[in-house]
Amino acid sequence: MKFKKVLTLRTIVATSAGLTLASSSFVAAVQVAGFLSGDSAWLAILIAGVFCLAAGMCFSELNDILPSAAGIRLYFGRAFGEKAALTVSLLYMLVVMGVVGAESYILAKILNYAFPSIDPLIWIFFMLASVTLMNIRGIKIAGAFQDVITYGLLVSVMVLSYIGLEKLDFHLAAPLVAGGMDNLFSAVAVGVFLFVGFEWVTPLAEEVTESRLISKGMFIAVGLLSVVYSFFTVVMAANVPREELVNSPMPQLLFARNILGDAGVAWIVVISLASSITTFNAGLISVSRFFYATAREHALPAVFSKISMRYMTPWVSILAVFAVGLTLSVIILFTGKYLVLVNMAAAAECLVYALTGVAVLVLRKKINRERKFIIPWGPVIPLLTTVVFTLLMLGVFATDPYMALWMAIGLGITWWYVSRIVPVLKEKHKAGRVSRRRNQNPESRSQNPE
Amino acid sequence: MATHGEITESLRAFEQAYADDSRLKVMNRDWDRKVLILADDLESAHTMILKDGELSFSEGKTADPDLTVISNSDILADMFFGDITPTEPYMNGSLRIIGPEDDILRLDFISLLIWGE
Repeated sequence: MKFKKVLTLRTIVATSAGLTLASSSFVAAVQVAGFLSGDSAWLAILIAGVFCLAAGMCFSELNDILPSAAGIRLYFGRAFGEKAALTVSLLYMLVVMGVVGAESYILAKILNYAFPSIDPLIWIFFMLASVTLMNIRGIKIAGAFQDVITYGLLVSVMVLSYIGLEKLDFHLAAPLVAGGMDNLFSAVAVGVFLFVGFEWVTPLAEEVTESRLISKGMFIAVGLLSVVYSFFTVVMAANVPREELVNSPMPQLLFARNILGDAGVAWIVVISLASSITTFNAGLISVSRFFYATAREHALPAVFSKISMRYMTPWVSILAVFAVGLTLSVIILFTGKYLVLVNMAAAAECLVYALTGVAVLVLRKKINRERKFIIPWGPVIPLLTTVVFTLLMLGVFATDPYMALWMAIGLGITWWYVSRIVPVLKEKHKAGRVSRRRNQNPESRSQNPE
Repeated sequence: MATHGEITESLRAFEQAYADDSRLKVMNRDWDRKVLILADDLESAHTMILKDGELSFSEGKTADPDLTVISNSDILADMFFGDITPTEPYMNGSLRIIGPEDDILRLDFISLLIWGE
């Protein structure tokens, strides 16, 4: 079978890394540095990267078993049942909206620093509204443009890091001293946030000739990000007092100003705009499409499946994501609690990765067919992924005990919704449905899609 | 299990409903695609062609599809008759669509506009 549109490895790497590179990543990076003594943040970031590689292997095998744009919704559905899959997916999407909220707050702070006369609230509204409008009009960041943005960002961050290292006369203080296993563990747990979203590239599974390209792309992206984040975080923490960085929502700007003055501020504004716009765009597209698809399977009210006839986009879902993102951004603006969302995203990501390991083991038994990608060493890596990410999730909860409460409340609400409301919505839909096929062919059997 | 004839009937119903909706023709006037529809439980292949906003289908395969829809015959017949949405079997893995995500979504939009919720 021939494919007309084929994605290249370069674009897969750019998409995977681009979804992950965000302004809020630098905030998480300094939190990682904050847990550790000396210039040893790179240790925690590399370890988090290696763990994410293990999770990436699990995603690759799942993608090989069930190649579909539906991603975790399908993997978890087959492995744990529809209720559990929908509950986790809904919670995950809510967290992604939280990340969009935190991201817009951080970018607004950076823009407000560069242009003090404009209030952050106006920036937040302007940026979210712009990306929402882009989405409603169906404008996407296409492959080649995504390549330019992502590779440009990676090079830019490396160049800034190099300049910062030069300012230190290429000298780092105690790069191998982490200051205790507890601290290293907490740093790795928050470090997972730096890789949030690398696996979102799996929906492209149906757009490549060889599904292994997706795996390869994810692994290269995680490797590249590990190196770039490690380098940048270590140099950033070595140049600017740690206290100052940890308590700021824009540590990257403080660092760039420190080494390059106003030119550094301008540089960071450009980097932040590029990275945040791709994050907003990816977040909005993913969540709004998820809402649309969930409404189409009658698990959300039908209004979310309304589409624009002019632009062919699910405009109600897009506007809903905009409204939630804006609300969260404004709440963060007034409370300053952006780290809650960063930690929440790290915990949710750990939960998803932990479940991914279990899903591989379950689906290996359930679905028996020829595979192109099987993780070596049998159950070892999936099991390890599950254990490690469960512990890391607990590690995030340990750094902020309220996080466990928020997570439990979130899971409780989504579980209640899936158990109580979704059956009502499905029943309502079923009652109003007339079978055209059976009316046309009365002898035809009714079917049941698995 | 549905028959090849039932799948053909369902596609005919889909084609007719599409032809009755002038909005769809305007909406898809720039979306020229060949969609290969394959049943995985019997020998049945159809090709749906969208060109200049018009939709037609023929029995048999096309060599260079933009999208390939694969499922069991029951799901294909029910889906094109509008008895089920494509999203339900897609989400549980019993329907596979090979092609760009945007095109998959567009196909679902068309189904939604033809058959409603």
